[in-house]
Amino acid sequence: MSEALAGPLRFATRTRTYVWAAGALLLLALPFYLDRFWLQAGLFAMAAAIGAIGINLLTGSTGQLSMGHAFFLAVGAYGYCVFAADGGDAGDGLTGLGLPTWLAAVLAVLVAGLAGGVFSPIAGRLRGAYLGIATLALIFIGQHVLFNARDLTGGFNGRDVPPLSLFGLTFDDRELLVANVPFGSAEKLWYAGLVLLLGCGLFARGVLRGRPGRAMNAIRDHRIAAGVIGVPVARYRAAVFVLSSMYAGLAGVLLALVFQRTVPDYFGITLSLEYLAMIVIGGLGSVSGAVIGAVFVSVLPQLLTRYSDALPLVSAPGTGGIAPGEASRYLYGAAVVAVVLFLPGGLVRVAAGRRFRTDPGEKR
Amino acid sequence: MSTTNETNETNETNETSTRNATSGTVRVAAGALAALLLLAGCSSKAKDDDGNDKGGTAAGEVKTGEGISGKTITLGALTDMTGVYATLGKSVTQAQQLYVKQLNADGGVCGYKVALSVRDHGYDPQKAVSGYTELAPKVLGFVQFIGSPFVAAVEKRIDGQDKALVLPQAWSSALLGSSYIRVIGSTYDIETINAVDFLMKEKGLKKGDKLGHVYFEGDYGESALLGSKHIAKEAGLTVVEQKIKPTDNDMTAQVAALKKAGVKAVVISAGPRQAASLVGVAAAGGFDVPIIGNNSAFAPQLLATQAGPALLKNYYVASPSLPIGADTPGAQKLVADYKKAYPKDSLDNGVVAGWTAASAFGEALKKACETKDLTREGVDKALLTIDALDTGFGTPQNFTDPKAASSKQSVILRPDKTVTGGMKVVQEADASDTATQYTPGA
Repeated sequence: MSEALAGPLRFATRTRTYVWAAGALLLLALPFYLDRFWLQAGLFAMAAAIGAIGINLLTGSTGQLSMGHAFFLAVGAYGYCVFAADGGDAGDGLTGLGLPTWLAAVLAVLVAGLAGGVFSPIAGRLRGAYLGIATLALIFIGQHVLFNARDLTGGFNGRDVPPLSLFGLTFDDRELLVANVPFGSAEKLWYAGLVLLLGCGLFARGVLRGRPGRAMNAIRDHRIAAGVIGVPVARYRAAVFVLSSMYAGLAGVLLALVFQRTVPDYFGITLSLEYLAMIVIGGLGSVSGAVIGAVFVSVLPQLLTRYSDALPLVSAPGTGGIAPGEASRYLYGAAVVAVVLFLPGGLVRVAAGRRFRTDPGEKR
Repeated sequence: MSTTNETNETNETNETSTRNATSGTVRVAAGALAALLLLAGCSSKAKDDDGNDKGGTAAGEVKTGEGISGKTITLGALTDMTGVYATLGKSVTQAQQLYVKQLNADGGVCGYKVALSVRDHGYDPQKAVSGYTELAPKVLGFVQFIGSPFVAAVEKRIDGQDKALVLPQAWSSALLGSSYIRVIGSTYDIETINAVDFLMKEKGLKKGDKLGHVYFEGDYGESALLGSKHIAKEAGLTVVEQKIKPTDNDMTAQVAALKKAGVKAVVISAGPRQAASLVGVAAAGGFDVPIIGNNSAFAPQLLATQAGPALLKNYYVASPSLPIGADTPGAQKLVADYKKAYPKDSLDNGVVAGWTAASAFGEALKKACETKDLTREGVDKALLTIDALDTGFGTPQNFTDPKAASSKQSVILRPDKTVTGGMKVVQEADASDTATQYTPGA
């Protein structure tokens, strides 16, 4: 059977290689052409994708609902600021350890993991919706701390994010000419984001395709059966929770670098819900689903706001019709409902369907 | 089961073809890189050697730069019409659109028409920052930017690269100090100082007394708290703090706490609903102390509620300008024009704020036109020369010092059913001694 399959499969593999190469080339070339607005939107999407991969491991693959994802994003973002900023009088008077920024980024991710670890006794015991309720508490605690721990977080106005500096290259707004194109922070961060996203995606794929992934799916599909065949259910649940918090932490660091300032308002319950929306819209349980969903959820509102003037049925503010901002919200809501209604498996099914059609080896 | 088998077989065949694919990938990647560098050469983002000097600079012509294309000057407005400041954002935006319309009807500036580019961020940081990023290269400046955390988020870019004039609709003292971000009117801390000063002069609050302060968590309430703490230190008062969240609507607990603490007067830096609840609950419980709010802590609609009589009796509001229903020609004309343009919408202080900001920008544009320099730099310089802009709302605005708010004066108002906008003046625009000597952030 494998003899017969080899020909078409090799052809398919080669086609896929070319598609991937073309996609990669396109992504690499974008900073040379696109405005900062588009790059920034792309960067928001990349950060969201990393976070979404994390929550998809937890919710999509292991069946554990988490409403506290925004909290771990905040831990990553603020953790990076605290580790990297210059403390004392040199900075803005807020606590800062002045560590090298790459180390700060690594430590921020670890601290997010640690925060997840502290919560893991709860995460290991509770399942599904019950965990969702428990993690809800994290959001409220997080918001309270962000607004009130002034020395650490800067309070309501947030704190400045020190630019990342790696191998002598600083990801800030100082212009760097590459092939005559001025590179600011967005262009430079674009490549950092791509590398991080690729690394995170491959790692998650490795986890999902290996033993741990099978165990996670077993826990999701039938907890008792999983326990009977020897999967340590509580330990797996706790471990996945820690891993997903670390993904959130990394997403937080990247977001902070893109924003250039962390603001407490951002890390609220809405953000957690958005992450859940991403994985539902993209497709539960797969890395590509998380990425597609993240791009959809984070880019669509920005696009609709940008082109709000040109949307149908929109009138100038104050003339009695639907204001552009409102219209973009309606459209966003409608798009979410449409995806859930007509693509129950998520957006990733669209791409998967096409692959099945072009790949004769997968006939059933 | 069949699925697992297939996956395994696929993996095997994949392995045999991996080696071929790897060498292919390397080749493709090398070619891709070469193509990338070639392509980059013809990118529109690439810097031309002589492309930096945009716009006409010939003798006698007006110098222009970013934000002007053809015969149109574009100004940005980052507003909130769907989030927590929706009512403010709507009024501010409509007033500014009205101003622009009238400016264009009068012939525009230097023959250029002015256009507003409005983006609604809904008080969402991501949308606010992306809105700024989108508009920044296209506009001459921003007549409106709601949300002080968001202004702070892009402050580095405004000061460092874009250098465009930004007039935030946020009166937080944290925003002062930039040469490009110019707060119009008194900030909340100054307003609170003036409010407490009024309580001491007119309402019998004296040294040694306790002063209650109910305030919102966030930029507005906490800026105001800076002010009440400052004047308390100067005048020997003790501040009893009650921090609330914008979602807290019932002030019974706060009133009980303040009553127990024995405060002689209360400042409220919150929304209209909280103010109504506070005043109503205090009156019902026989807790008869004067209560004064910042300008955001009142809406004319409140007078029709059950708290109405109590508000009429015991409530005062400190405001950076005369109310919309003021008895000046400028105010009356604005009321008439606004009512004509937006008959369905209520008149509130957002209209005044938006109108004042648009007028300040408009005046700066006209001055910049006189010096034939409509670049961002030119407009910025022009604004620094305006020392007494009066839009008909009682407080002249002085823009010559970027470190200070454009006015330190406040008007004290009290609710009155019979006037447009629901408020009448108790004390004309004035700056207390404490406010005059106060340096924000010190």
